[in-house]
Amino acid sequence: MASEMAQPGFWARVQRASVERLHIRLESLLVLVALSAAMALLSPFFLSLSNFLNILLATSTIGVLAIAATFVIGSGGLDLSLGSVMGLAGVAGAFVAVNLGWPPVFAVIACILAGGIAGYINGQLVTRAFVPAFIVTLGMLGLARGLALVISQGRAIYGLPAAIVYIGQGRPFGIPMPVIILVLTAIVAHCVLAYTRFGRHTLALGDSEGAARAAGIRVEHHRRIIYTLSGALAGLAGLLFTARVNAGDPTAGINYELTAITAAIIGGTNLFGGRASILGTMIGALIMGVLQNGLTLLAVQSYYQQMAIGAVLILAVFIDQYQVRKESRV
Amino acid sequence: MTLLSLQGIRKSFGAVDVLHGVDLSVAAGEVVGLVGDNGAGKSTLMKTITGIYRADAGSIEFDGKDILALDPGQRRELGIEMIYQDLSLAKQQDVASNIFLGREPTRKVFGLFPGFVDKAEMDRQAAKMIERLGARLPSINRSVGSFSGGQQQTVAIARALTFNPKLVIMDEPTAALAVREVQSVLDLIRRLRSEGIAVILISHRLNDVLSVTDRIVVLRHGRADADLVTSKTNMNEVVSRIVGGGDISAAAAHEQRG
Amino acid sequence: MTAFVLKINRFTMAFGIALAMSTIGVAKAEDGEYGVLMKTLANPFWGAMGQGVEDGAKEAGVKYFQQAAESDQAAEPQLNLCNTMLERKPVAMITAAINSTNLLPCLKAAQDAGVKVVDLDGNLDPAVLDKEGIKITFRIGSDNVAAGGQGAEYLVSKLGKDAKGPVLVIEGLSGNITGAKRAKGFADKLKELAPGLEIVASLPGDWDRGKAASIATDTLTAHPDLVAIFCANDGMALGAVESVYAAGKGEQVTIIGVDGNSDAVKSIKEGRLNASVAQLPYLVGKQAVENVKKALAGEKVEESIAVPTLVLTKDVLDAGKEPMLQYVK
Repeated sequence: MASEMAQPGFWARVQRASVERLHIRLESLLVLVALSAAMALLSPFFLSLSNFLNILLATSTIGVLAIAATFVIGSGGLDLSLGSVMGLAGVAGAFVAVNLGWPPVFAVIACILAGGIAGYINGQLVTRAFVPAFIVTLGMLGLARGLALVISQGRAIYGLPAAIVYIGQGRPFGIPMPVIILVLTAIVAHCVLAYTRFGRHTLALGDSEGAARAAGIRVEHHRRIIYTLSGALAGLAGLLFTARVNAGDPTAGINYELTAITAAIIGGTNLFGGRASILGTMIGALIMGVLQNGLTLLAVQSYYQQMAIGAVLILAVFIDQYQVRKESRV
Repeated sequence: MTLLSLQGIRKSFGAVDVLHGVDLSVAAGEVVGLVGDNGAGKSTLMKTITGIYRADAGSIEFDGKDILALDPGQRRELGIEMIYQDLSLAKQQDVASNIFLGREPTRKVFGLFPGFVDKAEMDRQAAKMIERLGARLPSINRSVGSFSGGQQQTVAIARALTFNPKLVIMDEPTAALAVREVQSVLDLIRRLRSEGIAVILISHRLNDVLSVTDRIVVLRHGRADADLVTSKTNMNEVVSRIVGGGDISAAAAHEQRG
Repeated sequence: MTAFVLKINRFTMAFGIALAMSTIGVAKAEDGEYGVLMKTLANPFWGAMGQGVEDGAKEAGVKYFQQAAESDQAAEPQLNLCNTMLERKPVAMITAAINSTNLLPCLKAAQDAGVKVVDLDGNLDPAVLDKEGIKITFRIGSDNVAAGGQGAEYLVSKLGKDAKGPVLVIEGLSGNITGAKRAKGFADKLKELAPGLEIVASLPGDWDRGKAASIATDTLTAHPDLVAIFCANDGMALGAVESVYAAGKGEQVTIIGVDGNSDAVKSIKEGRLNASVAQLPYLVGKQAVENVKKALAGEKVEESIAVPTLVLTKDVLDAGKEPMLQYVK
């Protein structure tokens, strides 16, 4: 079988190298750079270290949720409960630290545990009851939010201990703690997804469940782990949120799951599964962060910002599908 | 020496009975053709061998071991491989990822972290296997979804052959291929036989089946209706056994049950 | 080649979007810019306040830029907006915090940078501010205690100071400082003016119309001779109105709300709701800007500025002569 492809041009080779070596799509990175350049030209306040740290800080909570979304969507699933679970986890942590008065480390554990349990339940329902993930996680969205309101009795829980507040507002070496936590989480998550068996099996699962099964991958077991992991990450995001606003807020994270999924898609995750990269998702989250930051600095109303984000999302998916259709043989 | 022995295999999906007690045996280095009309249960039977489906009743012995309780991964390790009709490839992954899916080689990073997949090693071995098959692919690193049908099948074949299989099941391997490619698949089957690897070939192209198999098993109404020796039979006999002669009422009943 | 062209188009598109967006309402940074951060513009209350800020800024010849979060529960997005606005180096930040702690890190940073901080509409808790070491320039908002008191004054003017009978108070969200102040203001003033009017129940209505309606119905059952209901906001007052009229006691029970929103105004004109103590968010916004200008000029400014509230009744609305009515939006 002779090769039917012409020798690919320089640009295509650069694109491919970017995907293979760095696991990111070159287009996303270029859009981020171009957008940043545009903002720097338009606003004298954009280009400064403190503003960059500000952008990273603003992106940190959503970033952690986007990492969760990347794993789930990459495996062919969907988690609409991310924002609500985040709110529940934050309230759980605040409850443990304030109402129960336990040491801060228990509050941290409570956040991640609450998220993980919610994710575990999602996983059980999706794999054993065969209810579609869309519906299961939609149900959990309401369940978690309701539970958060019950635990907190509808009010924010104030009075968090200093150690917890430091997680959200501390600046070791001048870098905000949430940024450090996000970067560490992203690095670990990226390595897992791109370089370990578990990560590769996750993407294979999203690509073709039949292929995964034929390869001996325990499909249902794997999915359960993914959903539990997603919940635990939402728990971590809940901890960051609570620490940043210094309150266990039951209304935290409303609509955050949509933003997280948007970041993953803009970053090159295939909504139907099989292709995902954590670095790509981080770039997607940063694109949204730069857009919001820049437009705020330019005093553009937040409603227009939402329109801009929507437009970028549609554009990103269009470009993505264009590439996919060009490459595949349909 | 019998490599694979199926006895009394039954399988239903809800109210639909597909396999009604199938007996089948394959010897090492033997090529067995499995033919039958649509809905006879050929693919289902094969999937009970690879473990994708769990048989409701009956026994499966492979290489002297009872494998009924083993999952697909474990059965692969014993040497059972299958090239599926739809190829079951992960279209967005590259060649090496597909070949090694589920059994990726790992290495330690910085001498510290285990569990990292050894991509370089995977690529190396995948390239070697592709070369052994005498095929040329556009690139080891492109997603297989961008390959032609024949190239994708090469990847599926490589996946089945890389890990020293003892039994290779091929489900309609020539259905979508050009003439030259069909011949290379048949040559491949002959090569496998000469290496002592057993092959089960499912195909509706009876000329191919007659040209390359040692035995032909006809599946009808979820049962192994005939077990013919290829050298002693001909096209007419095979077709009439597939269609079933005068047994129209049984055919109608089977179709009715689904 | 097509791929390369598409790449160029993508850059141009991204650039173009950014440019297009920027032509909408750009204000170049100059000295003396005020940053105004609202809770959300979805509520007409805040819309009126925004209008007041705009007019105040125009009159004072001051440049400002304004942002708002997408809902009055978006605590973290509001914090992110605050931080970003700070990057634009305003001389003053006028903020309406969604809760009493979410903006603290930003306000602290503002203080460290020498930016004047103003608490718009009294959302920040003074105790919390002290703990964080944040000293705000001033807080401005309606005096909720006085507003409650005005409600009591209206009731006494209607029933007379020798009146006797049971009264129901429906509070706001349990623990919320605004609702608590209004309820207390009403209760204290009522005791002072008409000791015969006894508050038999003071229950949290959570700012919810339905909940207030249930509370009213239950209280009417326990006290069929109820003479008045005071609610900490209009939404709850309108819920109480429905219950009272459903029980056929519209004439017997005097119902008073707080806020003066358009639904309440309509109900008062129809003769159902008796009165509402209207806040004047427009004035709050306008005076906030005026006072910041004064503070920046070095003049002395009150630490806590109370913007008056206005009791709206059918008579007042019909006469239309009250000068402050123009500020009721």
